[in-house]
Amino acid sequence: MAVAEVRQRGARTAAPLAELVAQYASHRLFRNTSDVRILGNPYRRPLNPDTLGEIDFSRPIREEEFSSYGSLAANRILLNFYESESIILPAEGLASARRDFEAFYDDDLRQTGLALRPELERYAFGFLDDAVDVTGAWTSEMLRTHFLRIVEEADAEVTPGLQAIRRLGEPRDGADMLLVQLALDGLTEASAMARNLGGSYGPEQSELFKIFIDEFGAGVFEAKHSTIFEKLIASRGLKTDVHAYWHFYLTGSIAIINYFNYLTDDHRRFFRYAGALTFAEWTFAKFFTDLAAILRDLFGDAVDTHYCDEHGHIDVHHGRMTFENLLLGLARKHGDDVIPDLVRGVEEIRLLARLTDEEFIRQVTWADELPRYVEEGRRLRPAASEVVETANVEPGHLFGTRTHDEPTVVSVETGEVDLLVGPENPPFPLRAGDAILVPAGCLHGLRARTPSEWSRATVEA
Amino acid sequence: MTVAVLDAREHNTVFLGDDRYFVLEDAGRLFLVPDKCPHRGGPLSLGRRTPDERVVCPWHGSRITCAYLRRTSVPLVRRGSEITAYLPGDNGAHPVFLAKRRILANARGGGA
Repeated sequence: MAVAEVRQRGARTAAPLAELVAQYASHRLFRNTSDVRILGNPYRRPLNPDTLGEIDFSRPIREEEFSSYGSLAANRILLNFYESESIILPAEGLASARRDFEAFYDDDLRQTGLALRPELERYAFGFLDDAVDVTGAWTSEMLRTHFLRIVEEADAEVTPGLQAIRRLGEPRDGADMLLVQLALDGLTEASAMARNLGGSYGPEQSELFKIFIDEFGAGVFEAKHSTIFEKLIASRGLKTDVHAYWHFYLTGSIAIINYFNYLTDDHRRFFRYAGALTFAEWTFAKFFTDLAAILRDLFGDAVDTHYCDEHGHIDVHHGRMTFENLLLGLARKHGDDVIPDLVRGVEEIRLLARLTDEEFIRQVTWADELPRYVEEGRRLRPAASEVVETANVEPGHLFGTRTHDEPTVVSVETGEVDLLVGPENPPFPLRAGDAILVPAGCLHGLRARTPSEWSRATVEA
Repeated sequence: MTVAVLDAREHNTVFLGDDRYFVLEDAGRLFLVPDKCPHRGGPLSLGRRTPDERVVCPWHGSRITCAYLRRTSVPLVRRGSEITAYLPGDNGAHPVFLAKRRILANARGGGA
């Protein structure tokens, strides 16, 4: 089906979501290549198009399916769509990516994205309607009490994901994996916020603009938060290209960025945005202070923590500013009827942050204990119920990462392959006869070192 | 104000001093409502739900619309089955007690 035809069907009759997803993902920019890292070209965003047919897009994911493969795929697609609304250019220049630049912002691709976006947003975020509700006759005083109560709770402990890093056998790998997750936002910082700067909404607009100015280093490139984030990850030897680590973004890391785009892309969700932003800005201060401490403990003076220190400082102000002047300011001005939406935004981002943190802990804990999961794979291999995929590949084959919805045993039948569980984690070799248990929701990719055959089979949870 | 935290699977009634609140289910959403008819203070939780979305007070038959009960319900956040509610007044002078009672006002099938 031609893109133009899909556009017409999508606009008029809401073509089945799976059909629109397949069409969108078939675009050449989203095909897989052999690259594990994607350098110098922020428009290449592999979507594993051959695997998307296995996803049931007929109903939204449930909260417990947050790390399902459908959730990952949907969030990857949504991120592509949202980012096609902002300018991203490769730092080294456009020369080698000019055609892809034109294609990424191409009108037909964008129209397909527009056609699938509402349904895909419902698929990815519809569970929030069931998970969170806010009712009753709220007042500003109750809003103040509720917000301060939950941020006090949040600030009372180090984020569990950060605590988990310290417990790992190889905490440096866990810390690098976290930096990779933060790069998703860190390198394009405040792009979603930019959508809410225009228009006319009084002093609250100016308050948001002041925060935006800080994010952009008051117009000084060297002070721009994305610039100092680059220095942080460069000090760890990580690549600073936008989406170099596309394959290794966890679902939650993408979903949180998408959530802010989801809220800012439809201005009816403005009050939810204000709530979510206020909670995020308030809690960033402690998170980044704690992160700086971990990074210094793990890497000493070699790591540049200016980005964390900056957030640890400025987000104390941003938290206060958003709370007093955006959250409470909007409630004062627009009346108690808007408060449920403000609270809903707070609660939704709080839930997404928790789910994302839990997913991160599962991922880095698994990645830290791969030898144990090889033992598990060997033990479970005979009991593995159904072989759902076999692959015969040569070195240089197309590379992609994914999760599985059920615990899965990956078995190497012939040859030698590397299991990749993080962009900078050492490749974990698997040889003919080896098998490994991949827990549900854990992100991974396989890369053949020699001509190889592997299979995957589900096991009982 | 006083904060009450309850699991909606286990509790549907909140006591604070002499005040009582119950969880009203309406259109798939939960509302924490004073268990006190605006007419003479009758126990609305024991009222009858009518097909046109009213609760008939068991004392004097006042017909209170669910829209009114929603508007006057206590500020509430539901996360999954966990409810956090902010009860007016009291300021912690009395402890909060939770209970699970039969809420007739949530039962369907009453005559109009």
